Amino acid sequence: MRQYEMIAGLETHVELSTKTKIFCGCTTAFGSEPNTHCCPVCTGMPGTLPKLNARVVEYAVRAGLATGCRINRISKMDRKNYVYPDLPKAYQISQYDKPLCEWGRIELSNGRTIRITRIHIEEDAGKLVHVRGNTLVDYNRGGVPLIEIVTEPDFRSADEIREYLETLQLTMKTIGVSDCKMQEGSLRCDVNISVRPVGSETFGTRTEIKNMNSFTYMEKAVAYETERQIDLIESGGTVVQETRRYDEASGMTESMRGKEDADDYRYFREPDLVTIAVTDEQIEQWQADMPELPRHRLDRYTNQLQLPAADAALLVKYPRIAAYFDEAAQGVNARTVANFILGALFRRLPTDAEKENAAFPVPAAYLHDLAALIDGGKLNMNLAKTTFEKMLDTGKPVSDLLTQADLAGLDAEALAAVCRAAVENNPAAVADIRAGKEKAMGALIGYVMKATRGKADAGAATALLKQLIG
Amino acid sequence: MITQEEIRKIAKLAKLYVSEEEIGSLTEDMARIIAFADTINAAADTQEPFDSIQSLQNALREDVVRPSYPQEEILRNVNGGEDGYFRTKQSREG
Amino acid sequence: MAVQGKIAALRGRMLRREVSCEEITRAYLDAIEKKNGALNAYVLTTPDTALHTARAVDAKIARGETLAPLEGIPMTLKDNISTKGIETTCCSRILKGYSPIYNASVWEKLAGQNAVLLGKTNMDEFAMGSTCETSCFGGANNPYDLDRVAGGSSGGVASAVGGGMAAYGLGSDTGGSVRQPASFCGLVGLKPTYGAVSRYGLIAYASSFDQIGPITVTAADAAAVCDAICFYDEQDSTSVPRRYEPAAGALEQDLRGVRIGVAKEFMQAVQPAVLKAVEEAIAVYRSLGAEIVELSLSTLSIALPVYYILACAEASSNLGRYDGIRYGYQAGTAGNLNECICRTRSEGFGPEVQRRILLGTYVLSAGYFDAYYKKAQTLRGAVVRSFDEAFAKCDFLLAPTAPVTAFRHGRAAANPIETYQSDICTVPVNIAGLPALSLPCGFDPDGMPIGLQLIGRAFDEKTLLAAAHRFEQATDGAYLCREVLA
Repeated sequence: MRQYEMIAGLETHVELSTKTKIFCGCTTAFGSEPNTHCCPVCTGMPGTLPKLNARVVEYAVRAGLATGCRINRISKMDRKNYVYPDLPKAYQISQYDKPLCEWGRIELSNGRTIRITRIHIEEDAGKLVHVRGNTLVDYNRGGVPLIEIVTEPDFRSADEIREYLETLQLTMKTIGVSDCKMQEGSLRCDVNISVRPVGSETFGTRTEIKNMNSFTYMEKAVAYETERQIDLIESGGTVVQETRRYDEASGMTESMRGKEDADDYRYFREPDLVTIAVTDEQIEQWQADMPELPRHRLDRYTNQLQLPAADAALLVKYPRIAAYFDEAAQGVNARTVANFILGALFRRLPTDAEKENAAFPVPAAYLHDLAALIDGGKLNMNLAKTTFEKMLDTGKPVSDLLTQADLAGLDAEALAAVCRAAVENNPAAVADIRAGKEKAMGALIGYVMKATRGKADAGAATALLKQLIG
Repeated sequence: MITQEEIRKIAKLAKLYVSEEEIGSLTEDMARIIAFADTINAAADTQEPFDSIQSLQNALREDVVRPSYPQEEILRNVNGGEDGYFRTKQSREG
Repeated sequence: MAVQGKIAALRGRMLRREVSCEEITRAYLDAIEKKNGALNAYVLTTPDTALHTARAVDAKIARGETLAPLEGIPMTLKDNISTKGIETTCCSRILKGYSPIYNASVWEKLAGQNAVLLGKTNMDEFAMGSTCETSCFGGANNPYDLDRVAGGSSGGVASAVGGGMAAYGLGSDTGGSVRQPASFCGLVGLKPTYGAVSRYGLIAYASSFDQIGPITVTAADAAAVCDAICFYDEQDSTSVPRRYEPAAGALEQDLRGVRIGVAKEFMQAVQPAVLKAVEEAIAVYRSLGAEIVELSLSTLSIALPVYYILACAEASSNLGRYDGIRYGYQAGTAGNLNECICRTRSEGFGPEVQRRILLGTYVLSAGYFDAYYKKAQTLRGAVVRSFDEAFAKCDFLLAPTAPVTAFRHGRAAANPIETYQSDICTVPVNIAGLPALSLPCGFDPDGMPIGLQLIGRAFDEKTLLAAAHRFEQATDGAYLCREVLA
């Protein structure tokens, strides 16, 4: 059998986290009773007119800037006409040939680049609920602003798609334009997929798998569809250009519609909206207050702060955690801070959602103060660890949990005295050590720690004890 | 000359039902109307692009929430709807 | 003779307490009772709200409060202007029973000033027609001759005002729908500049052409209404934010030295009686000191197909929403969803609306877009530029409003294309988004009124209203609807 490669391009819909819908003042809040976040405009009542939300333009341009897009200074809205009950005007207001952003890119860790063709703004449709042979329609989501991010057919594996989506998700969250919650449908994607024999230069016929809102399903769907197409070609068949749906129950993709006229959207300029102009000043402003992007943050953590790559990636994955880390690590040992966060703090925030929301038990400044004490030699790691746990339990700063005596440190003379006492009071252990049982050292160290309430530096104590025992 | 088949296709896009009895006369009407539309081809081609009747830009709205309408108002023209929803025929295909 | 406006006359009598607002309102309601059977101008009357408002106005007068210019004046709205809680159907079966849950911005404003709404008036279905005969309620009749149409699409407004059943009315003008019925019924009709009057709540036919405008008895009346309805509305993105200069106080303009352009293309294929009346009007203006500039608007020849292609394209999209799911008519529930929607639309829309939806769908569809829609859009630019060139040579243009006087009933249905042709003088104005006004300037041998059209520069309604007012003065109001004015 010949070797095949899959070729995929992505269309990702990202819901923008504006307060109001794209063309009216109704809230975008999730949940609630059906048809309660609605008005004449977003239910398409006769005579109503759209009025574009300024923040939608801003967020879309910010998304474009974060993905290296060229921003079109002049753009416009168009109507995409199709009749479906979730679309109350029978057209979706979208952008056709003059999107806000074009020609961006996202770099993958394997060195490949995914080219972004365009980013445009559009309105979401309502929600359909199918019950007892009827369809119920709720327009609460109708008119929620979306950006659609379209890539070139640059993906060669499901892993690349996953990494791209994760990076995209993280980027949008970091710049604050979307919360990208897949489970609430605020990030969903359509995959265009084709296969070709390895070495071939031409593209095969593609199919489009619609509306996937989970990484797992996306990976399964891509794997299934790739296999399906290869099997089809190998058995002498041809791939038909069509839209398919991934059925989660069967794990298969199935044809959604073969209707020949389904895709004639009759785009034309939306006459109810005027030209959108973005100024150089606005772009400069938005570029200037763009937060550090995940890619740059990762570079800084690994190169400048010398964090292990895996640790850096874990911190960067959660923008709020990363911000917490940045604040706590100001001027102190970054690895120490990272270890506290990835260890003790992460144990308190076990789920992804908790790390996302990052309800921190203590402010970053407290962790910073703890790390500063360690850096200054005033606190050894053992005591620091137990203290941090106490801080997380109580929400109190270091100064409330440790006495002056705890922080006074241990001078060499005091340590020597304690070590001498340890040797004197543990003759059996000393004998074992002399007989070559290194393990017995533990008992002596234990004595020292107990006597110093954990303030002694284990390394220094071991050296001193060895010296005393001879 | 537009054919009955083309009229059927356009009617399908426009979500209009055309009966067998109507199709003949409708095609004739449409052929006349399209022939009339074709008279724009008599005009000299102009290369100057035309974008919009107005030169307005950025008629934008601030992102400030305004009260939505009560559900019963939204559903007033469908006798209150069903459980807070608009109801229609099963829309799933197949 | 000093021609006084109908609105000013009613207002004066109310303020002098010669007659109460309620009495005036009742007189109009009585007139509707008596005449509407013959004229079919109203498709819905609202006597209770009218009288309620009238009493509120009388209370204000009794308290000595000042009144807004249109306060207490009985009026009507075309049935495509949304009125909260009052059925608004566009005279289409597909919207029967539809009760808007919000007010059109224009009506919100007028209602806030206690305009007395007598009812909703007849129109061609979705404003698609030139005779009012595509209305699902049957057409409105011409007050001058019941065997003739009132014109369209705002035929009901013209019939109501011309029949003395409203002091003024608001119509909408997409390709001549205010001016042509005004012309057919011997009234003044103004189509304001695109973007001057909010379209919010006007049920769309063709969004980039539609504009609400008044039909009144005199130019002074039109000026008063124009002043009330021209305002910036943030709900309409195409509403132009600008300072509006009132027209009502600026009607007495000297026309000496004013340049009036007459394009020969407008005068072609015009009925002899119409041509004669327009030429006489030119002579009147000349006698007032205006300079007549002969010029050419070569793009007029393509205006009609350009208009029908673009307007129908927009309409096909605007009318996609009528599927029976959220409001209006719904055909039975037999068959699948798609069959239900198709049947609802085929039963709900009349034949002319369906023809225009089909044409609009066709010109936007894959394979035809470039040849029709895109080309027409480019030619729209050419029409705009040719008007720009004309206005370099003159202050406003003068033309007939329609090449003919009111048709006899039933002529339109027989030949749609021929009916389209009758819009030749009005359509170019909507293509260019300009303001234009129709005023009565004569009668044909059958005694039917003839309309004179004045076309202005963008946002220069004032000049047109003043020029119309001067004409009325100079001709002693000879062509005005005198019976109604009295």
